[in-house]
Amino acid sequence: MGDILVFVEHKDESVRKVSYEVLSAGKELKNFYSSRLYAAVIGCGVERISSELKKHADFILTVDEEELRDFVSENYAYVLSQLVQKYKISVVLGSHTGYGKPVLCTLAALLDWAILADLTGFEILGEKILFKKPFFGGRIVSHLSISGDTNAVLTFRPKSLKTGEGDFSGEIVRERIEIKKDERIRLLKSERKEGKKVDIQEADFIICGGRGMKSPENFRILEEIAEIMGGRVGASRSVVDAKWRDYDEQIGKSGKTVSPTIYIGCGVSGAIHHTMGIDTSKTIVAINIDPNAPIFSIADYGIVDDLFTILPLLKEELKKAKEQT
Amino acid sequence: MKILTFVKQILDSEAKISLKEDKRSLNFEERFSLNFFDEFAIEEAVRIKEKISNCEVVAISLGSKKAQEVLRTAIAMGADKAVLIETERYEILDPSYTAKVLSAFAQREGFHMIICGERAMDDENGVTGALVGGYLKIPYVGSVVRLEIEGEGKAVAESEINGSFCLYEVTLPAVFSVRKGINEPRVPSVTGVMKAMKMKIPVLEVSSLSPPTSKTQIESYDFPEKRPQVKIIEGATPEEKVKKLITLLREEAKVI
Ligand SMILES: Cc1cc2nc3c(=O)[nH]c(=O)nc-3n(C[C@H](O)[C@H](O)[C@H](O)COP(=O)(O)OP(=O)(O)OC[C@H]3O[C@@H](n4cnc5c(N)ncnc54)[C@H](O)[C@@H]3O)c2cc1C
Ligand SMILES: Nc1ncnc2c1ncn2[C@@H]1O[C@H](COP(=O)(O)O)[C@@H](O)[C@H]1O
Repeated sequence: MGDILVFVEHKDESVRKVSYEVLSAGKELKNFYSSRLYAAVIGCGVERISSELKKHADFILTVDEEELRDFVSENYAYVLSQLVQKYKISVVLGSHTGYGKPVLCTLAALLDWAILADLTGFEILGEKILFKKPFFGGRIVSHLSISGDTNAVLTFRPKSLKTGEGDFSGEIVRERIEIKKDERIRLLKSERKEGKKVDIQEADFIICGGRGMKSPENFRILEEIAEIMGGRVGASRSVVDAKWRDYDEQIGKSGKTVSPTIYIGCGVSGAIHHTMGIDTSKTIVAINIDPNAPIFSIADYGIVDDLFTILPLLKEELKKAKEQT
Repeated sequence: MKILTFVKQILDSEAKISLKEDKRSLNFEERFSLNFFDEFAIEEAVRIKEKISNCEVVAISLGSKKAQEVLRTAIAMGADKAVLIETERYEILDPSYTAKVLSAFAQREGFHMIICGERAMDDENGVTGALVGGYLKIPYVGSVVRLEIEGEGKAVAESEINGSFCLYEVTLPAVFSVRKGINEPRVPSVTGVMKAMKMKIPVLEVSSLSPPTSKTQIESYDFPEKRPQVKIIEGATPEEKVKKLITLLREEAKVI
């Protein structure tokens, strides 16, 4: 394998945390292959974002064009394919997110490269690299390899890689690429739903409500706690199906897989379909009135009590804890 | 208009799975189901068909003989035709292999739209739709929550991307992968089920679609690391329990 390129995602004029995770994986691979690490920043008005990355790659390729203001994955993939050719890249890395996934899949198809998706890590064993990927909702972990010197696109699950210190003194390179805008697809409108809130898959703190919350109004306190902790509210499927919460908050097999530092389940029974989505969290806390609730078999800490008594106390204590730090 | 919908049969989430001794393959209980997200794909295709005239829905699956079951479900829900592309056994396939085979079939069959699920719950890739769009060099929209056909071969698709809702206008042919919430999949009617039972499902050998060789291999399988035993926090009062929890989170888990 040769040089490595990371597709950098950005939001609100700064680099998304997931991209720092991928850049640190890129650095490890770079050291293994003794190759160069490139970061690609694509969009419109992305100058400042590039300068944020100087410590994280050898070269920061910046493609800043009006035609790239709208997110159309085909156009972004086209730009990446041009960079891959120009710089003789042989591995492209990115995150397995709403932005990264379509861009990197389209790129893999365009280049006819191998693709490994939603990876949670890798291990360097002699000459070989084994990539780690969960199957069947995390019930099985597999170790995958890429044939010989096949070029590949790799996407990593958010929050599954550690972010390291950047120690590069990277050079920003402005690239002019003539965009062949794909006329067959056009963005008509884009609306941010969650304001400036962190993406649930990137959140360090998630407090999740289940059917035990009893009513949609009772989620208020979960929102307050999430706010204090700078995190997000999650929901079980029962709660989403009952229309108490939106689907984008659903955690589990048919919702999102999350790996926060702290997950707190409140009135969540812990059905396998739910726990599949949380088992890579660092610390799992469960609050449930039923000592036999299955969530206690996956939790690190459990409180067997009425959540309506516990939550107001928890809110106060977390607030105090936050103020102390 | 011709709509193809990709449906996958997967190992049921309740099926028991164990590792073979060499850790290179799996033993599993033979319990399968239709991939959760593909129900939304079938439903969406059938709803489009019900809205416009002259529309045909064809369900396609790449899988073992047994995968005929999910194709019958698609017929029962209202698809007109189904085709099984047969592979020898149930296994996790290389994603570009699957997408190339499905693309080759789509090209041969002809279509205006392809609707697939957002993610298969066995391999958890969520890449097939985008790869097919890429191989066939046609537009792709993922995580679609709303899909409407406009006149003159255009569609409008609303997609959720990292918390933003993006509305795209797309010229057909195109590929869409749909997520939960786009519709409420119907329960097949009795006549639908009868029709599905009688329907003969054509089987195509995968070799007839010149499948590529896989570029990635599964070297071994493992169980994930077990999480440590839960600590149930005891205390005389709820206040005490909460205080203890905070101390543990700070001093033991070191997460706050
Ligand atoms: C194909 C498939 C996919 C699925 N995908 C998902 C998924 O993605 N995500 C998901 O979450 N589920 C999913 N499910 C559903 C899953 O199996 C469960 O039905 C669901 O997770 C249960 O939700 P719950 O824990 O909120 O509710 P319940 O199971 O009803 O649990 C409520 C809990 O609240 C506790 N409780 C009640 N009152 C109190 C109180 N006052 N104080 C403290 N505790 C209290 C109860 O003891 C109970 O344990 C899926 C199912 C299938 C078949
Ligand atoms: N073997 C298959 N047969 C038919 N459709 C498939 C197959 N594999 C994947 N798909 C389709 O592609 C979607 C995404 O799958 P994946 O990329 O594997 O997560 C699924 O929801 C299906 O609609």
